[in-house]
Amino acid sequence: MAATSASVSAAGEAPLLNQRNLWCFGIAYYCVYYLIVRWYEGVYGWSAGLDAFAPEFNTYWMPILKIEVPLEFATASFIASYLWKTRTRDFSTVSNREILRRHFHHFVWLVAYANAVYWGASYFTEQDGTWHQTIVRDTDFTPSHIIEFYMTYPIYICTGIGCFMYSYTRLPYFAKGVSLPYLLVVVGPFMIFPNVGLNEWGHTFWWMEELFVAPLHYGFVFFGWFALGILGLFAQIFDDLTGLIGKDVCPDV
Amino acid sequence: MSSTQSAVRSHAEAVQVSRTIDYLGLFILFFVILGGFHVHAMLTMGDWDFWSDWKDRRLWVTVTPIMLVTFPAAVQAIVWEHFRIGFGATLCCISLVLGEWINRYFNFWGWTYFPINIVFPAILTPGAILLDGVLILTNSYLATAVFGATAFALVFYPCNWVIIAGLHMPVEYHGILMSIADISGYHYVRTGTPEYIRMIEKGTLRTFGKDVAPVSAFFSAFVCIMIYFIWHFIGRWYGTTKFLQQT
Repeated sequence: MAATSASVSAAGEAPLLNQRNLWCFGIAYYCVYYLIVRWYEGVYGWSAGLDAFAPEFNTYWMPILKIEVPLEFATASFIASYLWKTRTRDFSTVSNREILRRHFHHFVWLVAYANAVYWGASYFTEQDGTWHQTIVRDTDFTPSHIIEFYMTYPIYICTGIGCFMYSYTRLPYFAKGVSLPYLLVVVGPFMIFPNVGLNEWGHTFWWMEELFVAPLHYGFVFFGWFALGILGLFAQIFDDLTGLIGKDVCPDV
Repeated sequence: MSSTQSAVRSHAEAVQVSRTIDYLGLFILFFVILGGFHVHAMLTMGDWDFWSDWKDRRLWVTVTPIMLVTFPAAVQAIVWEHFRIGFGATLCCISLVLGEWINRYFNFWGWTYFPINIVFPAILTPGAILLDGVLILTNSYLATAVFGATAFALVFYPCNWVIIAGLHMPVEYHGILMSIADISGYHYVRTGTPEYIRMIEKGTLRTFGKDVAPVSAFFSAFVCIMIYFIWHFIGRWYGTTKFLQQT
């Protein structure tokens, strides 16, 4: 991987894979951020998050909710608008080398998306299970929900929007239409977020803390399946890459 | 864009690019599948996997393989056919188990203080290796469904026996017959304590002798065959390469 960058950098042009973007944006940004979030949960979950009617709950938890939601809307809007505004309008001037470089940028976006999906759908979702089987909820906006539903889910949605928009505006293969598997892999998990509404409504309606596999949660399952769209997306990406570095254009391969 | 100009400049660079893409792709596939599979797993069979006192001889043995043969079947349908990758099921199960272990340690233990020997996840990898092995050896989805999915379910209980056996030891506690897992559960009361909701080992199970787990495993195996077929086609559907509008 390092050789890919080094060999190209020696030629005096931008590397195909920007390692700094990969490690800083794709990996470190999400991990460091969520480790800080987890530390905050550990400290203020027990000390200020047990009673939604207590003053300390309004001090330590509700401000996070009030700040994060508008910030996420703004971020998603900015990412989509920026990528659309700076889109490539004429692909005939873009070399195959540049398209390959953009594929690597796209992979960095997808690494970030995979990272964000892991933290949101795996780490903080199952964490919610143990918190609510231990601390009986008295509000929709519990410490685990404020992080899981209103922070980690929107963050992977924002990242997914970024992935999709980058491919749609920068890669000719994906600019030719709306990729169905890409739509599935981004919109499916996106729909988990609206499903939160059903979940929260149901929890105010039925008392069902004792069963994490309760039917009310099946909406999350259904939309979680859409992550399998990554399979079709990979088939499309590799189809395009075969054209870029396949035998017909690179006799050495 | 020139369609004849190569994007790479040498054989060596083509190999480097190809390998780099492989690593990145594997990372992405691993963690996206982890996220989707973990949501699916925790919300369809999660309670049985969370707590050792839910890991009984009937529902745990039945529900877990049926719910977990799904993603492996879907992933195998695409990665074997399109990429000739023979470890689709193993990748799914290893990613799921990794996600579960991280969670059980840092959250079940690290945040809500349940001991690890109450909240460890089930072992899934041997069944997944069998599922992949059958597909690689036979190159047949039909054979994989019939023999692989059956094996996936049948080996589930034996593979987990090494970690669950000690917790199923019978003990007499205040004059009542219990298991070690029961007693552990009583000391760590949750809203999901099974004796409260009366789901675990109910009915005639505890008077049914030793034959419950094999019967449950075989029933699970039969259902797994059907589920494998269904999810194979679900995988194919998600593996579509269509575009919604061609311009």
